[in-house]
Amino acid sequence: MTVITHARRKSRLSKIIDEAGGVSIGAALTQAKANLEALKPRSAAEVADRIADLAAIQPPASPDQTMTALGQAYRAANGVIDGAGPFGMDDIRAVAIGLCDLIDAATPERPFDWRVLPVYAQSLQLLLALPDDAEGRLKVRESLEKMVDRKLGQPG
Amino acid sequence: MSGLEGLRDSAVINLTGAVTMVVDDSPFGLDITASALLGFGIKTRYACHSAAEAIDILKDHPIDLLVVDTEMPEMDGYELVRWLRRSGLDPNAFAPVIMTATHVRRSRVTEARDCGANFVITKPFSAASLLERIVFVARDTRPFLEVGDYFGPDRRFREGKAPGAERRADVLRKMKHAADKAAAATGAEQAG
Repeated sequence: MTVITHARRKSRLSKIIDEAGGVSIGAALTQAKANLEALKPRSAAEVADRIADLAAIQPPASPDQTMTALGQAYRAANGVIDGAGPFGMDDIRAVAIGLCDLIDAATPERPFDWRVLPVYAQSLQLLLALPDDAEGRLKVRESLEKMVDRKLGQPG
Repeated sequence: MSGLEGLRDSAVINLTGAVTMVVDDSPFGLDITASALLGFGIKTRYACHSAAEAIDILKDHPIDLLVVDTEMPEMDGYELVRWLRRSGLDPNAFAPVIMTATHVRRSRVTEARDCGANFVITKPFSAASLLERIVFVARDTRPFLEVGDYFGPDRRFREGKAPGAERRADVLRKMKHAADKAAAATGAEQAG
């Protein structure tokens, strides 16, 4: 196979980064963390909105609607992860990742089980509502993880 | 130390002049990325909610850094980066590209490697990991290669098995499932 090599030109970014002025790495990280922290109050609302999107998705009425519906569910679950991820909602993020794994594993031979979608929507709503230290949080997460393991662990 | 490999807390960087584009269909996801960048001194010049919007800008305006989400409706991040690398736009086709991924589909893992991005980082990313990648791409001296369908930074891959313990979630699940079944079978035999 032919390989054409383009000698790397120095990018403008490589020049800019060493120009006079700027900030220390420590100061940059401190400021970035503070900026992210400022978004935390919005995260719960964002997660709630994306869970509502998930709950509103109807199973496809015909096979040609399957990909569209799966795409909607996948993007909604991605939105949950986006909203939850940086702000300590680790169990919500883990549950949404499990849903993404299930959607991603769907094939024509092993179609997505649409019965799990409302289960996920309700479980995520519950996790969002429960206090951080509630015992039930772990149970919800573990039962869903077991289901994902069971469904994806099967050969095929 | 800052937690950034090879960089001290006191090391100084200047990214204020970097013309940066962030592409993410999720407004909140875009805000998260732009907020972290702002902490580093980077004011996002172009905030785009779709690949189509980004392409319109990239055709006419040079950028220094592109941060793009992988998963977007219609044209996704991989397709956008592949288009950019093959666009012939100078200098944008050679611009450093960092992709952010909430969840990488198994079917897209190859595309993540082959689309021509410099890096893919998974969300939630820490401020440190994002800055580390930005500093890396700024100092990246790898040449660009055209190999078959690929156009992007030189990729070097190790032949054979990856070092260390197995980390792939699907393989681990199958191993766990097989172990559970074997344990259940053994338990049933002993009970019988």
